[in-house]
Amino acid sequence: MTMTTRAFSSRPGATDALRFVLNLPFAYLGTALLLLFAYFTRPMLLSPLLLLLIVRQAAPLGIAVIGQSVCMRVLSLDLSIGGVIVAVSYILTSGALPYPPPVLIAICILFGLVVGLANAFFITRLRASSVIVTLAMAMILSGVVISLGQFYAPGDAPEVLKFIGQKRIGIVPIALLVWLALLIPFALFLRFSVFGRYVDAIGSNPNAAWVSGIPYIRVLTVVHVMSSLFAVASGLLLVGFVGVGSMDIGSDLALNSLAAVILGGVTFGSGKGGVLGPAVAAFMLTFSFNLLTSLGLGEPGKLMLQGAIIAVAAMAYAVRMQRT
Amino acid sequence: MSKDTEQAVSGPEKASPGRTLVEFAGISKRFGSTAALTEVSLRGGHGSVHAVTGENGAGKSTLMNLLAGVHRPDGGTLRLRGDAVTLGSPQDARRHGISTIFQELTLLPNLTVAENMFLGREPLRFGLIDRRAMRRAAQAALDRLDSRISPDTYCADLSVGEQQMVEIAKGIAAEAEIFILDEPTAALNAPEVEKLARLIAQLRAQGKLIFYISHRLDEIFRFCDVVSVLKDGKHVATHPTQELDHERLVALMVGREIGTLYPERRPQPTKRQPRLVVEALAPSAFGCAVSFRLSVGEILGLAGLEGQGQRAIIRALAGIEPPSAGTVSKAGRKSGDVEHLPASIVATARAGVGFIPEDRKIEGLYLPLSIRQNVALGMLRDQSIWQRARISGNAIEQLLAKMRVVSAGSGQAVGALSGGNQQKVMIGRWLASGVDVLLIEEPTRGVDVGAKAEIYGLLREFADAGGAVLITSSELTEVLGLCDRILAVRGGALVAEFTGTEATEEQVMHAALTGGIEQEAVA
Amino acid sequence: MSIRQMIRFPGRSGLGLVALGIPVVMFVFLGFTAPNFATVQNYANVNAQIAALLLVALGQMIVAVSGGIDLSVGSVLSLTSAIIVSVDPALAVPAALMAGLCVGLVNGIGVTVFAVHPLIMTLASMTFLQGLALLILPVPGGDVPDYLEALVRFTFLGLPAAFYWCVLAVVATWVLTSRTRFGLRIFAVGANDLNAARNGVNVTMQRITCYVLCSFGGVLAGLFLSARVASAEPTMGVQYGLESVTAIALGGVLLAGGIGSVPGVIAGTVALGLMTNGMNLIGVSPFIRAAATGLLLLSAVSLQPRKTIGA
Repeated sequence: MTMTTRAFSSRPGATDALRFVLNLPFAYLGTALLLLFAYFTRPMLLSPLLLLLIVRQAAPLGIAVIGQSVCMRVLSLDLSIGGVIVAVSYILTSGALPYPPPVLIAICILFGLVVGLANAFFITRLRASSVIVTLAMAMILSGVVISLGQFYAPGDAPEVLKFIGQKRIGIVPIALLVWLALLIPFALFLRFSVFGRYVDAIGSNPNAAWVSGIPYIRVLTVVHVMSSLFAVASGLLLVGFVGVGSMDIGSDLALNSLAAVILGGVTFGSGKGGVLGPAVAAFMLTFSFNLLTSLGLGEPGKLMLQGAIIAVAAMAYAVRMQRT
Repeated sequence: MSKDTEQAVSGPEKASPGRTLVEFAGISKRFGSTAALTEVSLRGGHGSVHAVTGENGAGKSTLMNLLAGVHRPDGGTLRLRGDAVTLGSPQDARRHGISTIFQELTLLPNLTVAENMFLGREPLRFGLIDRRAMRRAAQAALDRLDSRISPDTYCADLSVGEQQMVEIAKGIAAEAEIFILDEPTAALNAPEVEKLARLIAQLRAQGKLIFYISHRLDEIFRFCDVVSVLKDGKHVATHPTQELDHERLVALMVGREIGTLYPERRPQPTKRQPRLVVEALAPSAFGCAVSFRLSVGEILGLAGLEGQGQRAIIRALAGIEPPSAGTVSKAGRKSGDVEHLPASIVATARAGVGFIPEDRKIEGLYLPLSIRQNVALGMLRDQSIWQRARISGNAIEQLLAKMRVVSAGSGQAVGALSGGNQQKVMIGRWLASGVDVLLIEEPTRGVDVGAKAEIYGLLREFADAGGAVLITSSELTEVLGLCDRILAVRGGALVAEFTGTEATEEQVMHAALTGGIEQEAVA
Repeated sequence: MSIRQMIRFPGRSGLGLVALGIPVVMFVFLGFTAPNFATVQNYANVNAQIAALLLVALGQMIVAVSGGIDLSVGSVLSLTSAIIVSVDPALAVPAALMAGLCVGLVNGIGVTVFAVHPLIMTLASMTFLQGLALLILPVPGGDVPDYLEALVRFTFLGLPAAFYWCVLAVVATWVLTSRTRFGLRIFAVGANDLNAARNGVNVTMQRITCYVLCSFGGVLAGLFLSARVASAEPTMGVQYGLESVTAIALGGVLLAGGIGSVPGVIAGTVALGLMTNGMNLIGVSPFIRAAATGLLLLSAVSLQPRKTIGA
């Protein structure tokens, strides 16, 4: 009894609590502040219905973020996500491939596998910079898709995807369930598998991982394939959510996922990072874009916010790492 | 050192002790909560070679970094030529005539010798670099060292010894009076060490002060006039080297007599079961192919001067730098069970061969991760990446206790441990993984004497339990004390074989220096 | 002794058969296959097309040699375009340069003081600045100051203005990188920043200056391009960030730092410019061209030796 009161009243306890909060991923504090700000300026955004809508809107980003976060934990990046999504949207909606939706979805998954393997090949075997490789991949994919658009224009999304992307069970959007169904098992997998341990090891010292015989190239290849597959899943959901395919669908997802991962507390070189932080950050970003729209700031504001978030969060983490 | 150079330098400077050039007066330095130096007082005069020695972590590098302007002292005064000075940066130190030759040389490979020598203070003409003046001054400095290196050579094309020469020439060109040499022989071969000896003698003859940081006793006695010993950040003693011998100096460094550093060797059975059979292995950096066997229960040492191929051989064997030719086969625990090892580090580890690199901070440990996580990674060696990680927390704790790893608990980050404890964690990871062969580069580099004995004990125990150990080491005493069998390496080839109990330092050294290729056929 | 010593260090220019050969091969190839390639008018076109890229690539090279990378330079180009039609004509150039200075400082400080990975830092500023450009100038248009147009429209001795600007930029960058203290020190920093610092080089200042110079390259390219088309466009520079990286990588500049040269950048830029021009002449869709640039970038970076795997 006395022990607890002492601990509670003493100053170290208070500063410890503060330090704990400050050491959490920025996404938690940021979301709290954002909700508070919305409460005073746009309280209507906080209605349960609207919040769930925003969650549904955040689901594609949230799914892409899962893959991006693992990439970043092994000191790599995947900026080809946008390209993959555009391609997925094209495969599904253009009618260029005359197959029923299940076959098209299977083709999309296969396509993601190929892109992931290609990325991994350039990054691990040829040791090219992952940023450059995946940016180039995005350029190639969107270039090809847009050129193909002259022959078959993207059109309506398959009904099954629209259903998943737009409908809800009770008040819970199906998209949210899909997100959780991918997020939770994957988080458990990372937490308990040998793979997850290797991800931590590679993230904290890639040289040591290599020299100690950890299957480095295999892990990185798997990570990039996973990232592309999550991008495909994100694309399927997004196409369903929007209802039609287009040439610039999901084009901002690559950068947003990067921003979310950084906000979510995954940093280069620390070997640390969870799955929950980035997920919260995905919600936070989507919420902030809605808030910006409701405040009358359009595309430019959104871009500036994205850029500022990435830069400021990355710098803040760097400062935090230097302190400890 | 040859006879005449020795006479040349024992001229006037030695007769009259030089004027005081540098004085550390009550210098203290803390890093965070640890005191690196506590009230150290030292003097150095013109025309002397002053050894600064001590165990790892004794504070010798910190002391010299203060003089080099890398760190600033928290307390005490640094005097140069009698005046108190504050050295705010390496440039500052250089302006005060101090030239530091760091252990890791600081030359840039993509700059020429002349550019390197004047980097940071390039001569200008009309605002642009005066290349001709730079070249001329560089040539002049190299000439004073009787060096034949061209100032236009890119430093990428120089050997380590030549680079060291350029570093010294850089100091000469900057008219430095004080030279700090930090472990200068670490990467030199024998002829280069000879050359360095002559250079140091020359500098002394010119009235320079040389601080020689090393823990290699024979070099201290050979090169230096005075030796100062540091221990735990405190100054222990300063003596002229003539007044000391090896044993007394070691006693000063350690603060106690070392008992038996090396564990006892078991008597060699006449016929040992081979564990690794290496056939015609040709590391890609060297042309020679080597063949040897590593037997069950044995510690085998690759001895030789640094850069002679030991590292290339052990790395080719581990599959880190895949060899251009050759085969490695490994016998399992059961007899007749032979496995051919592909040249890949992943496959080697899977087959039960662990590799411990020389630089544990860069290639060995996961510094931000905890001790427990580091050791646990070893346990995953033969598990598939898709399966659930099977880790025994108890086994880890027992292992850490057995190895006597000193820490604030197994949850502590490995980066916070001392060198010796880090090395134990490194070895512990492989012990936990259940490998039966260990390939170890420089098993006790950066490890203090106390932990050294424990590490030797661990390796011997591993071998006695049916394991096999291959080490490379540039410390001859270590190879002689620890190994059952020694292979001398020269120019990438195995030039001689010795039995650990019978070999002498002279024999091994002789083979390492002069061993011929014709002796290559070593079993 | 070892093999390493038998192969001599080829110098820090990065110029090799590939870097110099590609543009020559392309030139010959296009001369035989593409209609209207070998005409004075087309050469003038190529020159004008690559002038802006060259300005950006020269800046990119300075950053790359120091061991960094700047993806934001394309957005700087766009921002410049937006600025010059939105402020008083007399202030157009100073305002744009001021913006470039700020961008370079922020990038440089983020990379050095805060130790953010240069790719992430400049990706962030790339996005931010694109937003800013769109905020200042939501739709293309506006009047580019007349004096700027005059500066890029003249011809002298039968050669177009673009040619003279290219020569000026090339000479200035060459003197800077191979004849000044600053230039020598960039190579030192790029090869090993710790050792450069131990030799008395102020690595932080050196790096920040590189980013500022690179941003200035973007500003100049923005001024040039806007003046040439006589209109501003807030997304004018979108592709220049990656294209400049492609150009310098083709020109033998090592993205890991420490190796590179002005002639190499010229070769790389010309190669990329010829590819674009050739596809134009043959009548390939611009989007396929973007994809082809991506492929070229992929192959150029794949050929560069790197020790690390990842970002």
